[in-house]
Amino acid sequence: MERFKASVYKEVLLLLHDKVGLLLMYMMPLLLVFVITIVQDSAFRLVNENRLDILIVNNDKGDLGDTLISSMKHAGSFRIDVRKGVNEKQLSKLTLEGGKLATLYIPEDFSTTMSVNSKRISKAMLTEFGVETEVEKRGAQKQESNGAVKFLFDPVLQESYQVTIKNNLQIMISGIESKQMIHQLYKDMGYDQIPPRILQELGKNRTKIVAEPAMNGESAMIPNSTQHNVPAWSIFAMFFMVISLGGNLVKERVSGSFVRLQTIPGAFLHAMFAKITVYSFVALTQLMIMCTIGVFVLPLIGLPQLNLPTHMFPFILISVLSAMAAISYAAMVGTYARTQEQANGFGAVSIIIFAAIGGIWVPSFVMPDYMLMISKISPLHWCLEGFYTLFLKNGSWDQLMGPVYYLISFTVFCQAMALWKLRRQHYI
Amino acid sequence: MMLMTQPSHILRVSSITKLYPKAEVYSLKDVSFDVIRGEKLGIFGPNGAGKTTLISILCGILPETSGGVNYFIDNQSATFKDVLPKIGFVPQDFALYQELTAMQNLRYFGKMQGLKNEELESKIAHLLTILGLDHVGNRKLSTFSGGMKRRINLAIGLINDPEILFLDEPTVGVDVQSKVAIIALLNELNQKGTTMIYTSHHLREAEDFCDRTLLLDDGKIIAEGTLNDLLKQHNAESLEDLLIHLTGKALRD
Repeated sequence: MERFKASVYKEVLLLLHDKVGLLLMYMMPLLLVFVITIVQDSAFRLVNENRLDILIVNNDKGDLGDTLISSMKHAGSFRIDVRKGVNEKQLSKLTLEGGKLATLYIPEDFSTTMSVNSKRISKAMLTEFGVETEVEKRGAQKQESNGAVKFLFDPVLQESYQVTIKNNLQIMISGIESKQMIHQLYKDMGYDQIPPRILQELGKNRTKIVAEPAMNGESAMIPNSTQHNVPAWSIFAMFFMVISLGGNLVKERVSGSFVRLQTIPGAFLHAMFAKITVYSFVALTQLMIMCTIGVFVLPLIGLPQLNLPTHMFPFILISVLSAMAAISYAAMVGTYARTQEQANGFGAVSIIIFAAIGGIWVPSFVMPDYMLMISKISPLHWCLEGFYTLFLKNGSWDQLMGPVYYLISFTVFCQAMALWKLRRQHYI
Repeated sequence: MMLMTQPSHILRVSSITKLYPKAEVYSLKDVSFDVIRGEKLGIFGPNGAGKTTLISILCGILPETSGGVNYFIDNQSATFKDVLPKIGFVPQDFALYQELTAMQNLRYFGKMQGLKNEELESKIAHLLTILGLDHVGNRKLSTFSGGMKRRINLAIGLINDPEILFLDEPTVGVDVQSKVAIIALLNELNQKGTTMIYTSHHLREAEDFCDRTLLLDDGKIIAEGTLNDLLKQHNAESLEDLLIHLTGKALRD
C-alpha cells in the first residue's frame, strides 16, 4: 500500500507540474462548452425565435402585399424594414450592401395574381358543384399573371436557415391565398362579403403541431444545446488526456525510469496502477466540473441549464467506463509511441478524428450511411451514445448495454495491447 | 536457477548468449564468469562490445537468449525474485524525474524499495550529505548540473543498501570533483561489503577502482583476471594499452 501511495503522490506531483496538460484537460473543454453552446444557442434562437433581419420591398399595387407584411409582423419572426418603389434589378445590391441577411420582393402584380388564382379555383369548385356562378354570368376573366414573390438571401446564410425562412413565408402566403379564395367563393355565389361568423372561424387557430421529445418514462430533461454539449465536450476532454498521460508514459520510458523500476520488485505494476488511479480521478473531475458549470454557470449567461440524469448509478457507470476507455487509449498510445512528440501528435490528431467521426462536433444523424458505420469504431461515439441515452432520452438499461459492451471491449483491447507491448519490452 | 552451494560467489554467469529480436549478430556469445562476494568487477570493452547488455541481463532488465545466471544469498542458491531486493542499479541514463526535487525522487524510489518513513528520511539525509547535495535537496532536478544529476542517480541506486550494485558508466559526463566523490563513496561501500559490477570508459579511473577486470569484445570475453595479471600476461602498461592490444585500433560503431 505504501508503494501505491508513493506512486500516486509522484503521479500527482508530475501532473501538477504539467501545466500545459492541465490546461488542455481542464480549460480547453470548458472554453469549448462555453463557445459552442453559445454559438449553437444563438443559431437555435435565430431560427426558432425568429429574429432575422429582413428587408421587404413592397411594390404591390393591391392590398395583399401589405397583408403579407402584416402577417410577418404578427408572427414576430423577423425584424422588418419595408421599402417601396425599389427596382427588382437593385435587389441583390441592396441585400448585400444593406446589412440584411435576406430580402423579400413583393411584385406589382402580387395582389392581382392572388385574385386571378382565387377566381380560377372558385370557378372550378362551383362548376364541380353544378352552380352557375356570377363569374359565368359576367363571363370568365382570362387574365393570367405570375406575380412570384422573390426571396433573396445573403450567400453567408446557411441552407437550413434559408429553407426555414422560405417555409415560413410559404405558410403565410398560403394563409392569405386561402382567405382570398374563400372570399372569392362567397363573392361568386353572390355574397358581398364573407359572413362574420365564417371570418371568425377562419381567424381561429388551426390544428397545432405539438412537438415534444421522445422520452423513456417521465423526465424533466429538455433537449437543448447545453444538454448536448456538456457531455460531448466532457468526453472530448477525457480523451484529450492522451497528451498528458501518453506523453508522461513515453517520458518515463525514454528517461530510463521504467528500467529502474524494473529492478525493484513489483514497483512497475504499482506505478501503472497509480497512473490509472490518478488519471481516473482527473477524468471524473473533468466531468464533474463540466456538469457543475452546466448546472450553475451556463444559466447565469442566459444559456439553458443542464439537467442531470435522474438515475445516478448508470450515470456513474458510463462515466467510469468512459474514463477507463480514455485512460486505456492514452496508455496504449504512450506505450507504442517512441517519442513524446509522436505521442502528442498522434494522440491529439487521433482524438480529433475520433471526435469528428464520433459525433462530438457534428451530430451523427447528419452523416451519410457509410460515415455512420465508420463512426461506430470511435470510442467517443459510444461514450456519447451512453451519455445521450442518459442526458437526453432518460434511457433504460437495455439502451445502455450497447455502449457498455463496446466501452468494456475497447478498454480491454487497449489494455491488452499496452500490456503486450510492455511485456515485449520486458517491463512486466 | 540451479541449486548449488558456492560460499565465495554471489553470482555465477553460465554460457549466456543474447540475440536481440531482428538482429543478425549475437550481442553476447557464450559468456561465463563468476562474481566473488565483496569484489569490484570491472567490465570493459569498446562500444558495442555487449557491456550494457550484460549488465541488463544480470539485473533482470533483459532476458538472456540462452544460458543462465545463478545468484547466491547467504551461501545458498537463490531465485532472482529473492535476490532482487538486494540489488542496486545505477543506469547509464539519468533515470530520474526531472520535474521533481532531489528529495522527492529519493523518497519515491525509497518507498518503492519498501523503506519505511524514518529509515528512509535518515538514509536520504545521509546520502545527500555524503554526495554533497544536502543544500539542494529541495531543488528540482531540472535545475541540476550533469554532475549533480549523476550523483542523485547513484544515490537512488544506493537507497536500499544493496548487497550487489550494478553500475553502468556511473561517472560519465561529470567533472573531476563529482567523479572523486562518487568513487570515494563506492570504495567506502565496498569496504562495508557491497559487491560491485561496474562498466566505464574512464580506464584510468577503472584501473584504480576495480579488483578484477573482464574485457569484452564482439559479445565475447577476451580476457579476465586481475589488472596486474592481465598487464603482465599481455605485456601492456595500462588498461588502455591492454584494450588496444586485444581489440585493435579500428573504430567501432
